[in-house]
Amino acid sequence: MRLKISDVTMRYGKLTALQGVHSSADGGKVIAVLGPNASGKTTLLRTIAGLTTPSKGKVELDGVRVDKMTPHDRASKISWVPRIAEVSGAFTIRTVVELGRYAIGPSESRVTEALRQVELLDRSESLWHGASAGMRQRAAMARALAQRTPGGMLVLDEPSSALDMHHLKSMGEMLKQCASEGDIVIAALHDISFAMEIADAVIVLKEGRIVLDGQTNAVLTPSSLGGIYGVDLNWAVDEAGKRHLVMA
Amino acid sequence: MKIRTTATIVFLLLLLFAGIALRLLITRQVDGSITLAIPEQEFVLYRVVPLISALIVGAGLGVSGMGLQVLLRNSLASPWILGLSSGAGLGVMATMYFEHTYGATFVGSESGGAILGAVGTLSLVYVLSRRRTGIDPMTMVLVGVVVSVLCGAGIMVLQHAVPMGLRGSFTTWLMGSLPEVESWWKLGTLGGATVFGIALISWWGPTLDAACLSDDEATSVGVNLPRIRTRLFLVSSILAAIGVMLAGPIAFVGLIAPHGARLFLGGSHRSLTIATAIMGACLLVFADDIRQIVDIGSGRLPIGIVTSVIGGVVFLGLLLRNRGRV
Repeated sequence: MRLKISDVTMRYGKLTALQGVHSSADGGKVIAVLGPNASGKTTLLRTIAGLTTPSKGKVELDGVRVDKMTPHDRASKISWVPRIAEVSGAFTIRTVVELGRYAIGPSESRVTEALRQVELLDRSESLWHGASAGMRQRAAMARALAQRTPGGMLVLDEPSSALDMHHLKSMGEMLKQCASEGDIVIAALHDISFAMEIADAVIVLKEGRIVLDGQTNAVLTPSSLGGIYGVDLNWAVDEAGKRHLVMA
Repeated sequence: MKIRTTATIVFLLLLLFAGIALRLLITRQVDGSITLAIPEQEFVLYRVVPLISALIVGAGLGVSGMGLQVLLRNSLASPWILGLSSGAGLGVMATMYFEHTYGATFVGSESGGAILGAVGTLSLVYVLSRRRTGIDPMTMVLVGVVVSVLCGAGIMVLQHAVPMGLRGSFTTWLMGSLPEVESWWKLGTLGGATVFGIALISWWGPTLDAACLSDDEATSVGVNLPRIRTRLFLVSSILAAIGVMLAGPIAFVGLIAPHGARLFLGGSHRSLTIATAIMGACLLVFADDIRQIVDIGSGRLPIGIVTSVIGGVVFLGLLLRNRGRV
């Protein structure tokens, strides 16, 4: 599967959220989308997932425009994990995860497996409204796992913002697992260390434009990121000899 | 169907049958005492017609409220939030005004005016709430409120313009009442349309479940949001308009019935639609039962007053329970 983003511009009235964005990605990779607040990360991801139509340009998956796909085709190829999952109605966590199979047909085994992966199987009959922010984020991940077709695309908007360290680690493993099965995995992240840990490539946005795009190790340096975020960064080396970007 | 769902629907049906039996048997004697007795042959129809009307209006308003709660993502939504009541009221008032002032006679008279007013108002709300990507729920609520206020102003202007005697007729209509005499053709047509509308919404149940996610999430799992919202709006509006046509503005059934059904069944809309329809019918039938029993010295209360008193208390409870989330 190949994702191609061609000259995507998104305007909301006078505000330009994205300006002339070009990029591409192949299956089997985890791509992190980074950037300061209001740099256009969520808009880019929503455009990639076919949830909105760009003002100009196009996003194609294997040559097919994602915003022109039928709802069924899009649901079978693209799974979406929002930053904050919202549900109105008295649903259990399991029912919310089952909704991932709405267009592509029910599968008890896929739903149960997804709930097990995010460690919510024993809480699956709890009501959604009683769930914590972290549980909701894991449930949204489970819904995407139950929905995804291996070899498709998984798009995540800050999927780890409410997770503790244990679940952050397992989230990283799940994303890498999906990529190893041929998925294109694209996630907007604020945690640079987590991005360096899981991403094969990064796209860095600033004011709606791509300012960095390439292999994670080559692109993420103290000087490149420091200028974008407006902070001084340094390398720090841990006991295992691994390098981390830290604020000076 | 799960055991809990079946048990709930059987329980609600038994409750409904109890309400129906009471309505048929409750008899007020000349001295004001209440007895349970099989009515004489000549009076049966005067109990059966309002009973059938209560079933149609209650079931339709309940399911209409449920549909609008999904459409507007607001657990306090009901048919009246979209200006249906004030639109229908304006239609009735306008009919009365023209009949009185110009001596004109309109087909269907008051109920015709009510249905025209309701459909006109809902069409206006629909057109003004449309965006490039379909109906916007928040815009729809705001437009509904504004249209309601404008219709309210129109009603006041017409009330001011008609003689005092007509104002009384209009006030009576506003209280809502179940007809004791109605043509079988009309009951059959409106009943059939209500059953069809309820069946449609129940059939769309899984889509309604998925439409309870946020817009992006619902779209990502494959819901065609613009299509389901338009369908829900149309069917919910028609169900509510049928209620207005038969019984005038009956408040709160559309709000309470879905919440009552959810207490038993949770959020799955296929079975919830059926339970809501039975719950709505129960509410109206029991309200009519209460109406037969309570006499505050001025005859039987209009049914709209009974549903308003019950509904007002439940509405406040919901409001307090949902404080901060609504």
